[in-house]
Amino acid sequence: MTSTEAPLDLTPVEPPSSPSRSRWRSLGVVAVLALAVLALLSQGLLHSLNYFKTVDEVLANRASVGDSVIRLEGVVKPDTITRTSSGASFILAGSGSNQVSVIARGTPPQLFQANIPVVVVGHFTTRASSVFDGTQILVKHTASYIAQHPSRVQAPNGTTR
Amino acid sequence: MIKLLSQRLLGPVTLLALAATLWMGLVVTPPDKVQGDLARLVYVHPALAWVALYLSFGTATIASGLYLWKRTRSMVMDRVAHSAMEVSLVFIVLTLITGSIWGRPTWGVWWAWDARLTSTAILGVLALGYLALRRANDDPTLRARRSAVLAILAAINVPIIHFSVQWWKTLHQGATVFTASRTLLIHGSMAWTLLLSFVAFTMLFFWLLRARYRLEVQRERTSGQSLRDALEERRREGAF
Repeated sequence: MTSTEAPLDLTPVEPPSSPSRSRWRSLGVVAVLALAVLALLSQGLLHSLNYFKTVDEVLANRASVGDSVIRLEGVVKPDTITRTSSGASFILAGSGSNQVSVIARGTPPQLFQANIPVVVVGHFTTRASSVFDGTQILVKHTASYIAQHPSRVQAPNGTTR
Repeated sequence: MIKLLSQRLLGPVTLLALAATLWMGLVVTPPDKVQGDLARLVYVHPALAWVALYLSFGTATIASGLYLWKRTRSMVMDRVAHSAMEVSLVFIVLTLITGSIWGRPTWGVWWAWDARLTSTAILGVLALGYLALRRANDDPTLRARRSAVLAILAAINVPIIHFSVQWWKTLHQGATVFTASRTLLIHGSMAWTLLLSFVAFTMLFFWLLRARYRLEVQRERTSGQSLRDALEERRREGAF
Protein backbone atom coordinates (compact mmCIF):
# COMPACT_ATOMS: atom_id res chain seq x y z
CA MET A 1 0.00 0.00 0.00
CA THR A 2 1.37 3.44 -0.90
CA SER A 3 1.02 6.52 1.31
CA THR A 4 -1.31 8.20 -1.25
CA GLU A 5 -3.97 5.44 -1.02
CA ALA A 6 -6.98 5.86 1.30
CA PRO A 7 -6.89 3.74 4.49
CA LEU A 8 -8.84 0.48 4.40
CA ASP A 9 -12.43 0.70 5.61
CA LEU A 10 -12.47 -1.60 8.62
CA THR A 11 -16.00 -0.77 9.76
CA PRO A 12 -17.75 -4.02 10.78
CA VAL A 13 -20.33 -5.10 8.25
CA GLU A 14 -23.67 -6.76 9.00
CA PRO A 15 -23.34 -10.54 8.99
CA PRO A 16 -25.56 -12.41 6.51
CA SER A 17 -28.94 -13.19 8.02
CA SER A 18 -29.09 -16.50 9.84
CA PRO A 19 -31.79 -19.15 9.19
CA SER A 20 -33.44 -18.29 12.53
CA ARG A 21 -33.78 -14.62 11.53
CA SER A 22 -35.26 -15.74 8.24
CA ARG A 23 -37.67 -17.97 10.10
CA TRP A 24 -38.85 -15.14 12.35
CA ARG A 25 -39.31 -12.81 9.41
CA SER A 26 -41.27 -15.49 7.53
CA LEU A 27 -43.45 -16.07 10.58
CA GLY A 28 -44.06 -12.33 10.79
CA VAL A 29 -45.15 -12.21 7.14
CA VAL A 30 -47.45 -15.21 7.61
CA ALA A 31 -48.97 -13.66 10.76
CA VAL A 32 -49.67 -10.34 9.00
CA LEU A 33 -51.08 -12.25 6.03
CA ALA A 34 -53.38 -14.30 8.26
CA LEU A 35 -54.61 -11.12 9.99
CA ALA A 36 -55.29 -9.41 6.64
CA VAL A 37 -57.23 -12.42 5.33
CA LEU A 38 -59.23 -12.64 8.57
CA ALA A 39 -60.03 -8.92 8.38
CA LEU A 40 -61.36 -9.32 4.84
CA LEU A 41 -63.31 -12.44 5.79
CA SER A 42 -64.89 -10.71 8.76
CA GLN A 43 -65.99 -7.83 6.54
CA GLY A 44 -67.40 -9.96 3.80
CA LEU A 45 -68.23 -13.50 4.64
CA LEU A 46 -68.26 -14.34 8.33
CA HIS A 47 -71.66 -12.70 8.97
CA SER A 48 -73.33 -14.32 6.01
CA LEU A 49 -72.01 -16.02 2.91
CA ASN A 50 -75.17 -14.99 1.08
CA TYR A 51 -75.23 -11.31 0.17
CA PHE A 52 -79.04 -11.03 0.25
CA LYS A 53 -82.32 -12.74 1.10
CA THR A 54 -84.93 -13.21 -1.62
CA VAL A 55 -88.51 -11.94 -1.32
CA ASP A 56 -89.68 -15.59 -1.08
CA GLU A 57 -87.25 -16.39 1.78
CA VAL A 58 -88.18 -13.25 3.72
CA LEU A 59 -91.93 -13.78 3.38
CA ALA A 60 -91.54 -17.44 4.40
CA ASN A 61 -89.72 -16.34 7.56
CA ARG A 62 -91.44 -12.98 8.09
CA ALA A 63 -91.71 -13.34 11.89
CA SER A 64 -88.01 -14.03 12.41
CA VAL A 65 -86.96 -11.19 10.08
CA GLY A 66 -89.00 -8.67 12.11
CA ASP A 67 -87.77 -5.14 11.51
CA SER A 68 -84.05 -5.97 11.38
CA VAL A 69 -81.87 -4.51 8.62
CA ILE A 70 -81.54 -6.90 5.67
CA ARG A 71 -80.68 -6.93 1.98
CA LEU A 72 -83.84 -7.88 0.10
CA GLU A 73 -83.71 -9.20 -3.46
CA GLY A 74 -86.50 -9.34 -6.01
CA VAL A 75 -87.57 -8.15 -9.44
CA VAL A 76 -89.05 -4.66 -9.87
CA LYS A 77 -92.67 -5.19 -10.88
CA PRO A 78 -93.63 -3.28 -14.08
CA ASP A 79 -95.88 -0.22 -13.78
CA THR A 80 -95.31 0.12 -10.04
CA ILE A 81 -92.40 2.59 -10.00
CA THR A 82 -93.28 6.01 -8.62
CA ARG A 83 -90.54 8.61 -8.33
CA THR A 84 -90.84 10.52 -5.08
CA SER A 85 -89.04 13.64 -3.85
CA SER A 86 -86.83 11.50 -1.61
CA GLY A 87 -86.35 8.48 -3.91
CA ALA A 88 -88.72 5.92 -5.41
CA SER A 89 -91.46 3.53 -4.40
CA PHE A 90 -92.17 0.26 -6.20
CA ILE A 91 -93.19 -3.33 -5.70
CA LEU A 92 -90.55 -6.02 -5.44
CA ALA A 93 -91.77 -9.36 -6.78
CA GLY A 94 -90.67 -12.86 -5.90
CA SER A 95 -92.06 -16.08 -7.32
CA GLY A 96 -95.83 -16.51 -7.71
CA SER A 97 -97.77 -13.89 -5.83
CA ASN A 98 -95.00 -13.10 -3.34
CA GLN A 99 -94.30 -9.39 -3.31
CA VAL A 100 -93.15 -6.59 -1.01
CA SER A 101 -93.96 -2.91 -1.25
CA VAL A 102 -90.77 -0.81 -1.08
CA ILE A 103 -90.33 2.87 -0.26
CA ALA A 104 -86.71 3.70 -0.98
CA ARG A 105 -84.78 6.85 -0.18
CA GLY A 106 -81.88 8.21 -2.25
CA THR A 107 -81.25 8.32 -5.98
CA PRO A 108 -81.62 4.89 -7.60
CA PRO A 109 -78.71 3.66 -9.84
CA GLN A 110 -78.92 4.60 -13.52
CA LEU A 111 -79.91 1.05 -14.56
CA PHE A 112 -82.88 0.97 -12.19
CA GLN A 113 -86.01 0.13 -14.20
CA ALA A 114 -88.96 -2.24 -14.35
CA ASN A 115 -88.32 -5.99 -14.71
CA ILE A 116 -84.77 -5.75 -13.39
CA PRO A 117 -83.52 -7.69 -10.33
CA VAL A 118 -82.51 -5.37 -7.50
CA VAL A 119 -81.22 -5.67 -3.95
CA VAL A 120 -82.70 -3.16 -1.49
CA VAL A 121 -80.91 -2.48 1.80
CA GLY A 122 -83.31 -1.56 4.60
CA HIS A 123 -85.91 -2.94 6.99
CA PHE A 124 -89.67 -3.45 7.36
CA THR A 125 -91.29 -0.37 8.91
CA THR A 126 -92.65 -2.45 11.83
CA ARG A 127 -92.27 -6.06 12.97
CA ALA A 128 -95.52 -7.06 11.23
CA SER A 129 -95.54 -4.53 8.38
CA SER A 130 -95.48 -5.48 4.72
CA VAL A 131 -93.86 -2.16 3.72
CA PHE A 132 -90.09 -2.20 3.33
CA ASP A 133 -88.16 0.99 4.10
CA GLY A 134 -85.13 1.02 1.78
CA THR A 135 -82.03 3.14 2.32
CA GLN A 136 -80.14 1.93 -0.75
CA ILE A 137 -81.02 0.27 -4.07
CA LEU A 138 -78.43 -1.95 -5.80
CA VAL A 139 -79.14 -3.18 -9.31
CA LYS A 140 -78.26 -6.83 -9.81
CA HIS A 141 -77.87 -7.21 -13.56
CA THR A 142 -78.08 -10.63 -15.18
CA ALA A 143 -75.28 -12.56 -16.87
CA SER A 144 -76.93 -12.26 -20.31
CA TYR A 145 -75.72 -9.82 -22.94
CA ILE A 146 -78.20 -9.12 -25.74
CA ALA A 147 -77.55 -6.61 -28.49
CA GLN A 148 -79.64 -3.48 -28.57
CA HIS A 149 -81.46 -2.92 -31.89
CA PRO A 150 -82.23 0.77 -32.08
CA SER A 151 -83.88 0.37 -35.49
CA ARG A 152 -86.58 -1.86 -34.10
CA VAL A 153 -89.81 -0.15 -33.08
CA GLN A 154 -91.73 -0.90 -29.94
CA ALA A 155 -95.40 -1.72 -30.27
CA PRO A 156 -97.94 -0.30 -27.78
CA ASN A 157 -98.20 -3.76 -26.19
CA GLY A 158 -94.45 -3.71 -25.39
CA THR A 159 -93.22 -6.12 -28.06
CA THR A 160 -90.47 -5.12 -30.54
CA ARG A 161 -90.79 -5.49 -34.34
CA MET B 1 -35.81 -20.85 -36.02
CA ILE B 2 -39.51 -21.26 -35.22
CA LYS B 3 -38.79 -20.61 -31.54
CA LEU B 4 -36.90 -17.42 -32.36
CA LEU B 5 -39.64 -16.26 -34.73
CA SER B 6 -42.38 -16.89 -32.16
CA GLN B 7 -40.37 -15.01 -29.51
CA ARG B 8 -39.91 -12.04 -31.84
CA LEU B 9 -43.54 -12.04 -32.98
CA LEU B 10 -45.22 -12.49 -29.59
CA GLY B 11 -45.01 -8.81 -28.64
CA PRO B 12 -46.24 -7.28 -31.92
CA VAL B 13 -48.99 -9.89 -32.36
CA THR B 14 -50.16 -9.28 -28.77
CA LEU B 15 -50.37 -5.54 -29.39
CA LEU B 16 -52.28 -6.16 -32.62
CA ALA B 17 -54.74 -8.47 -30.85
CA LEU B 18 -55.28 -5.92 -28.07
CA ALA B 19 -55.84 -3.16 -30.64
CA ALA B 20 -58.32 -5.37 -32.50
CA THR B 21 -60.16 -6.06 -29.23
CA LEU B 22 -60.34 -2.34 -28.52
CA TRP B 23 -61.66 -1.59 -32.02
CA MET B 24 -64.21 -4.41 -31.93
CA GLY B 25 -65.28 -3.52 -28.40
CA LEU B 26 -65.66 0.20 -28.94
CA VAL B 27 -66.69 0.48 -32.60
CA VAL B 28 -68.05 -2.75 -34.08
CA THR B 29 -70.14 -4.30 -31.29
CA PRO B 30 -73.60 -2.93 -30.48
CA PRO B 31 -74.61 -1.64 -27.03
CA ASP B 32 -76.31 -4.08 -24.66
CA LYS B 33 -80.10 -4.05 -24.36
CA VAL B 34 -80.04 -3.36 -20.59
CA GLN B 35 -76.60 -1.96 -19.78
CA GLY B 36 -76.08 0.03 -22.98
CA ASP B 37 -72.45 1.09 -23.52
CA LEU B 38 -71.49 0.03 -19.98
CA ALA B 39 -71.49 -3.56 -21.23
CA ARG B 40 -68.36 -2.83 -23.28
CA LEU B 41 -66.39 -3.49 -20.11
CA VAL B 42 -67.19 -7.15 -20.72
CA TYR B 43 -64.38 -7.13 -23.30
CA VAL B 44 -61.83 -6.22 -20.62
CA HIS B 45 -62.90 -7.27 -17.13
CA PRO B 46 -63.53 -11.04 -17.60
CA ALA B 47 -60.34 -11.45 -19.69
CA LEU B 48 -58.32 -9.73 -16.95
CA ALA B 49 -59.87 -12.07 -14.37
CA TRP B 50 -59.10 -15.06 -16.62
CA VAL B 51 -55.41 -14.12 -16.70
CA ALA B 52 -55.27 -13.21 -12.99
CA LEU B 53 -56.99 -16.26 -11.55
CA TYR B 54 -56.50 -19.11 -13.97
CA LEU B 55 -53.45 -18.43 -16.15
CA SER B 56 -51.10 -16.56 -13.81
CA PHE B 57 -52.11 -18.03 -10.49
CA GLY B 58 -52.47 -21.45 -12.14
CA THR B 59 -48.97 -21.22 -13.62
CA ALA B 60 -47.54 -20.10 -10.28
CA THR B 61 -49.26 -23.00 -8.51
CA ILE B 62 -48.15 -25.65 -11.03
CA ALA B 63 -44.56 -24.33 -11.05
CA SER B 64 -44.57 -24.32 -7.22
CA GLY B 65 -45.82 -27.91 -7.18
CA LEU B 66 -43.11 -28.93 -9.64
CA TYR B 67 -40.52 -27.21 -7.46
CA LEU B 68 -41.67 -29.09 -4.36
CA TRP B 69 -41.67 -32.41 -6.21
CA LYS B 70 -38.09 -33.74 -5.91
CA ARG B 71 -37.94 -35.18 -9.44
CA THR B 72 -38.70 -31.83 -11.09
CA ARG B 73 -37.12 -29.51 -8.53
CA SER B 74 -35.10 -26.71 -10.10
CA MET B 75 -34.67 -22.97 -9.72
CA VAL B 76 -36.31 -22.59 -13.13
CA MET B 77 -39.61 -23.65 -11.55
CA ASP B 78 -39.09 -21.19 -8.70
CA ARG B 79 -38.41 -18.37 -11.16
CA VAL B 80 -41.50 -19.26 -13.22
CA ALA B 81 -43.66 -19.31 -10.07
CA HIS B 82 -42.29 -15.98 -8.89
CA SER B 83 -42.74 -14.31 -12.29
CA ALA B 84 -46.26 -15.69 -12.74
CA MET B 85 -47.27 -14.56 -9.24
CA GLU B 86 -46.13 -11.01 -9.93
CA VAL B 87 -48.14 -10.96 -13.17
CA SER B 88 -51.09 -12.43 -11.27
CA LEU B 89 -51.00 -9.67 -8.64
CA VAL B 90 -51.01 -6.96 -11.32
CA PHE B 91 -53.99 -8.59 -13.06
CA ILE B 92 -55.90 -9.15 -9.80
CA VAL B 93 -55.58 -5.44 -9.03
CA LEU B 94 -56.69 -4.55 -12.57
CA THR B 95 -59.64 -6.97 -12.25
CA LEU B 96 -60.74 -5.31 -9.01
CA ILE B 97 -60.33 -1.80 -10.46
CA THR B 98 -62.27 -2.52 -13.68
CA GLY B 99 -64.93 -4.36 -11.66
CA SER B 100 -65.29 -1.36 -9.41
CA ILE B 101 -65.57 1.01 -12.39
CA TRP B 102 -68.28 -1.27 -13.82
CA GLY B 103 -70.04 -1.69 -10.48
CA ARG B 104 -70.57 2.01 -9.74
CA PRO B 105 -72.97 2.80 -12.62
CA THR B 106 -74.61 -0.65 -12.79
CA TRP B 107 -75.02 -1.73 -9.15
CA GLY B 108 -74.82 1.80 -7.79
CA VAL B 109 -71.80 1.14 -5.51
CA TRP B 110 -68.05 0.92 -6.04
CA TRP B 111 -67.71 -2.15 -3.83
CA ALA B 112 -69.91 -4.80 -2.21
CA TRP B 113 -68.76 -7.36 0.35
CA ASP B 114 -70.22 -10.32 -1.52
CA ALA B 115 -68.54 -13.71 -1.85
CA ARG B 116 -67.04 -13.14 -5.33
CA LEU B 117 -65.51 -9.74 -4.59
CA THR B 118 -64.28 -10.65 -1.11
CA SER B 119 -62.66 -13.90 -2.21
CA THR B 120 -60.93 -12.12 -5.12
CA ALA B 121 -59.60 -9.44 -2.75
CA ILE B 122 -58.32 -12.24 -0.49
CA LEU B 123 -56.46 -13.76 -3.45
CA GLY B 124 -54.82 -10.38 -4.05
CA VAL B 125 -53.69 -10.24 -0.42
CA LEU B 126 -52.34 -13.79 -0.66
CA ALA B 127 -50.38 -12.92 -3.82
CA LEU B 128 -48.96 -9.89 -2.03
CA GLY B 129 -48.09 -12.12 0.94
CA TYR B 130 -46.30 -14.54 -1.40
CA LEU B 131 -44.07 -11.73 -2.67
CA ALA B 132 -43.47 -10.45 0.89
CA LEU B 133 -42.49 -13.95 2.01
CA ARG B 134 -39.91 -14.11 -0.76
CA ARG B 135 -38.40 -10.84 0.46
CA ALA B 136 -38.26 -12.18 4.04
CA ASN B 137 -35.96 -15.08 3.08
CA ASP B 138 -32.40 -14.50 1.89
CA ASP B 139 -31.51 -18.15 1.32
CA PRO B 140 -32.69 -19.06 -2.22
CA THR B 141 -33.58 -22.68 -1.36
CA LEU B 142 -35.52 -21.75 1.75
CA ARG B 143 -37.22 -18.91 -0.10
CA ALA B 144 -38.26 -21.17 -2.96
CA ARG B 145 -39.61 -23.88 -0.64
CA ARG B 146 -41.58 -21.61 1.67
CA SER B 147 -43.10 -19.52 -1.13
CA ALA B 148 -44.03 -22.67 -3.08
CA VAL B 149 -45.95 -24.01 -0.07
CA LEU B 150 -47.78 -20.68 0.31
CA ALA B 151 -48.66 -20.57 -3.41
CA ILE B 152 -50.23 -24.04 -3.24
CA LEU B 153 -52.19 -23.19 -0.08
CA ALA B 154 -53.38 -19.90 -1.62
CA ALA B 155 -54.55 -21.71 -4.77
CA ILE B 156 -57.37 -23.32 -2.73
CA ASN B 157 -59.08 -19.93 -3.03
CA VAL B 158 -59.25 -20.06 -6.85
CA PRO B 159 -62.06 -22.66 -7.13
CA ILE B 160 -63.86 -20.85 -4.27
CA ILE B 161 -63.79 -17.65 -6.37
CA HIS B 162 -64.94 -19.51 -9.47
CA PHE B 163 -67.89 -21.26 -7.84
CA SER B 164 -68.80 -18.45 -5.40
CA VAL B 165 -71.53 -17.15 -7.75
CA GLN B 166 -73.08 -20.65 -7.83
CA TRP B 167 -72.62 -21.64 -4.20
CA TRP B 168 -73.86 -18.39 -2.65
CA LYS B 169 -76.15 -15.48 -3.48
CA THR B 170 -73.92 -12.68 -4.76
CA LEU B 171 -74.43 -9.20 -6.17
CA HIS B 172 -71.85 -10.10 -8.80
CA GLN B 173 -73.44 -11.62 -11.89
CA GLY B 174 -73.22 -15.35 -12.57
CA ALA B 175 -71.01 -16.85 -15.26
CA THR B 176 -71.55 -15.68 -18.84
CA VAL B 177 -69.07 -18.04 -20.53
CA PHE B 178 -68.25 -20.87 -18.12
CA THR B 179 -71.87 -21.54 -17.17
CA ALA B 180 -72.97 -24.72 -15.42
CA SER B 181 -75.25 -25.55 -18.36
CA ARG B 182 -72.43 -24.73 -20.84
CA THR B 183 -74.68 -22.22 -22.57
CA LEU B 184 -73.05 -19.04 -23.79
CA LEU B 185 -75.11 -16.10 -22.53
CA ILE B 186 -73.71 -13.55 -24.97
CA HIS B 187 -74.56 -13.35 -28.64
CA GLY B 188 -73.26 -12.47 -32.10
CA SER B 189 -70.38 -10.05 -32.50
CA MET B 190 -70.36 -9.50 -28.74
CA ALA B 191 -69.44 -13.17 -28.21
CA TRP B 192 -66.69 -13.09 -30.86
CA THR B 193 -65.20 -9.94 -29.36
CA LEU B 194 -65.27 -11.52 -25.92
CA LEU B 195 -63.40 -14.53 -27.34
CA LEU B 196 -60.88 -12.22 -29.02
CA SER B 197 -60.30 -10.41 -25.72
CA PHE B 198 -59.51 -13.72 -24.02
CA VAL B 199 -57.00 -14.59 -26.77
CA ALA B 200 -55.39 -11.12 -26.66
CA PHE B 201 -55.01 -11.07 -22.89
CA THR B 202 -53.72 -14.66 -22.88
CA MET B 203 -50.97 -13.60 -25.28
CA LEU B 204 -50.28 -10.56 -23.10
CA PHE B 205 -49.82 -12.91 -20.14
CA PHE B 206 -47.24 -15.04 -21.96
CA TRP B 207 -45.43 -11.92 -23.17
CA LEU B 208 -45.26 -10.44 -19.67
CA LEU B 209 -44.30 -13.78 -18.10
CA ARG B 210 -41.44 -14.23 -20.55
CA ALA B 211 -40.20 -10.66 -19.99
CA ARG B 212 -40.38 -11.02 -16.20
CA TYR B 213 -38.62 -14.38 -16.28
CA ARG B 214 -35.78 -12.99 -18.40
CA LEU B 215 -35.48 -10.03 -16.05
CA GLU B 216 -35.16 -12.39 -13.08
CA VAL B 217 -32.44 -14.42 -14.83
CA GLN B 218 -30.60 -11.19 -15.65
CA ARG B 219 -30.92 -9.98 -12.05
CA GLU B 220 -29.50 -13.22 -10.67
CA ARG B 221 -26.67 -13.12 -13.20
CA THR B 222 -25.84 -9.50 -12.30
CA SER B 223 -25.88 -10.13 -8.55
CA GLY B 224 -23.67 -13.21 -9.06
CA GLN B 225 -21.26 -11.19 -11.19
CA SER B 226 -21.10 -8.42 -8.52
CA LEU B 227 -20.16 -11.02 -5.91
CA ARG B 228 -17.46 -12.48 -8.14
CA ASP B 229 -16.09 -8.97 -8.84
CA ALA B 230 -15.99 -8.15 -5.11
CA LEU B 231 -14.16 -11.40 -4.31
CA GLU B 232 -11.66 -10.75 -7.10
CA GLU B 233 -11.03 -7.27 -5.75
CA ARG B 234 -10.36 -8.62 -2.24
CA ARG B 235 -7.95 -11.21 -3.67
CA ARG B 236 -6.07 -8.50 -5.48
CA GLU B 237 -5.88 -6.45 -2.28
CA GLY B 238 -4.46 -9.46 -0.45
CA ALA B 239 -1.74 -9.93 -3.09
CA PHE B 240 -0.11 -6.58 -2.26
